[in-house]
Amino acid sequence: MNRTGFLGCMITVMRKELRDFARDRRTFLLTLLTAPLLYPLMFLGMSKLTSLRTENQLDKDLALPVVGMAQAPNLVAFLASRGINATEAPKDIEARIRAQKDDVALIIDPDFAEDWHAGKPAKVDVLADTTRRTSDVQVMRLKATLGEYSQSVGALRLLARGVDPKVAAPVNVGTRDLATAEAKRGIFLSIVLPLVLMLSAFIGGSHLAMDTTAGERERQSLEPLLATPAARGALVSGKMLAAVTVGLVSMLLILLSFKLSASMGTGAATSLDVSFAAMGKLLTILLPLVVIGTALLTCLAASAKSMKEAQSHIAWLMMLPMLPGYALMAYPLKDTQLWQYAVPFLSQNQMLVKVTRGEMPSATQWGVYLLASLGLALVLWGIAVWRYRQERLAISG
Amino acid sequence: MIVAERLRKTFPGRGKDKSPVIAVDEVGFTARDGEITGLLGPNGAGKTTTLRMLYTLMTPESGRVLVDGIDPAVDPNTVRRNLGVLPDARGVYKRLTARENIDYFGELHGMTATDIAARTARLAAALQMEDFLDRATEGFSQGQRTKTAIARALIHDPRNVILDEPTNGLDVMTTRGLRGFLKELREEGRCVIFSSHIMQEVAALCDRIVVIAHGRVVAQGTPDELREHAHESNLEDAFVKLIGSEEGLHA
Repeated sequence: MNRTGFLGCMITVMRKELRDFARDRRTFLLTLLTAPLLYPLMFLGMSKLTSLRTENQLDKDLALPVVGMAQAPNLVAFLASRGINATEAPKDIEARIRAQKDDVALIIDPDFAEDWHAGKPAKVDVLADTTRRTSDVQVMRLKATLGEYSQSVGALRLLARGVDPKVAAPVNVGTRDLATAEAKRGIFLSIVLPLVLMLSAFIGGSHLAMDTTAGERERQSLEPLLATPAARGALVSGKMLAAVTVGLVSMLLILLSFKLSASMGTGAATSLDVSFAAMGKLLTILLPLVVIGTALLTCLAASAKSMKEAQSHIAWLMMLPMLPGYALMAYPLKDTQLWQYAVPFLSQNQMLVKVTRGEMPSATQWGVYLLASLGLALVLWGIAVWRYRQERLAISG
Repeated sequence: MIVAERLRKTFPGRGKDKSPVIAVDEVGFTARDGEITGLLGPNGAGKTTTLRMLYTLMTPESGRVLVDGIDPAVDPNTVRRNLGVLPDARGVYKRLTARENIDYFGELHGMTATDIAARTARLAAALQMEDFLDRATEGFSQGQRTKTAIARALIHDPRNVILDEPTNGLDVMTTRGLRGFLKELREEGRCVIFSSHIMQEVAALCDRIVVIAHGRVVAQGTPDELREHAHESNLEDAFVKLIGSEEGLHA
């Protein structure tokens, strides 16, 4: 009988796995289409909701319960001129805020009028629950208005005493924002998009990777397969190649759906750099991750006693791509140090953020990234092949 | 020709401080070309483990296997090429048709499409599976699945054939057909080994019988030699005497 090349066997296995997978119509469509359909909806929905909330809370008149309204009629009038309508607060105002019946309230000190006339700082308290995000915008708006009132009255007082108000403002603090236009609009996306892409890349081909190893053994067809002269390395590589193909196709569909939603959408979605060049860069960044995910799952599935055990790994695997995102939220890192491009998941995160911000990683960063991640993929692939050579793998049940 | 020499295989015991389980110990026999050799023994006697060592899935702890004079420990791929194996696990891919299942294995053996088609036609005729060859195997009967698995195992026209309990779960008519097929393989001069726990089946088919119990060969030889060995005129009585129990006498 003629000898079979490693490559020939690998292609045969890959073709068979893909055909088998494509005939499982429902799983096939769910794997490939769920993410590309769901994520754009999520994005458009979220950006729509965010802008809705800001618009609502900034433009609408704000009804503000005030304790001791009579103490400061001028302040109340000033607030009213800024669209904040003061009403006399009920006695249980603290309880009402805790119960989220009111978002924010103002307490004017009983000594307010007295202090005011004496020229001493008169006290007002803003009452709010800062852990409730629904009151964020109102609290900020009220504080800004109070600050404005305080400043203008202060300036007037200085003028009345014949002093230039500029004397009391020795430093003029301004901020010049150097963020690129893309980055500015894409803060939201810089957190969510890399996560979505990394998750999809990492476990997008997971079903196929596990099904062709743990599933195949459970269906009792692995033992005959391993009794053929096909090299074990070729078998496992073919299976992994099939999973990587599926992972890449679903990745491509997700990117295309982003492109589509960016051209239709409003707000944050339009800030995405969705040129084909950027998508090519994203795919290059994600390719090693697809291989890493597939190889890792193949290793785990080959060690698992059953498909069920293999699937239970997904829970912690899904946490992995999220870790750098959370870590960076708690401890932001500058993306200039080179070591970051060698750490799995963190490196993908940094590279993806750079590209979605419309920047180009430097050649060294590309080099370190590709070397480190492809190296890891190669090691995991080696472990998977080694697992396939062990006799324990073949024996089912 | 397949030769097993003093094969031994143990598995680690389950749980804490359990001693290793000896699955197969000192098993040796010779299966010649043009003969059917039957491995007979009750369930759990070590037949499947012995066969797995013959078809290269397991490495014996001591002893060695020779398939047409080649040791699988030295050159496993040549051995695999000369073997057709129906393992204990005989799952078929249920979303592929029987023909696609067979094609897949043919391709893994490096055969050309025309060779595969010609060989599939011969096997399908011999196994009487033409009427379901192009149906998806989902919903196949046990017999149809076994036939698909056998055709898949023999697609590369191997000199040596190893079948692990091929008649398990088959009805009488299918079993009869399968026996005819095994006899054809013998006529073609192949070396056929099959295992069974059913005495009557082994007696009806085999030129040589190897009786295995508790991981050891308790007797081997032609049916006549076995009767003589046990001093019983009836093979059934001889079998019971050899394995020391009435286990596995009936299917």
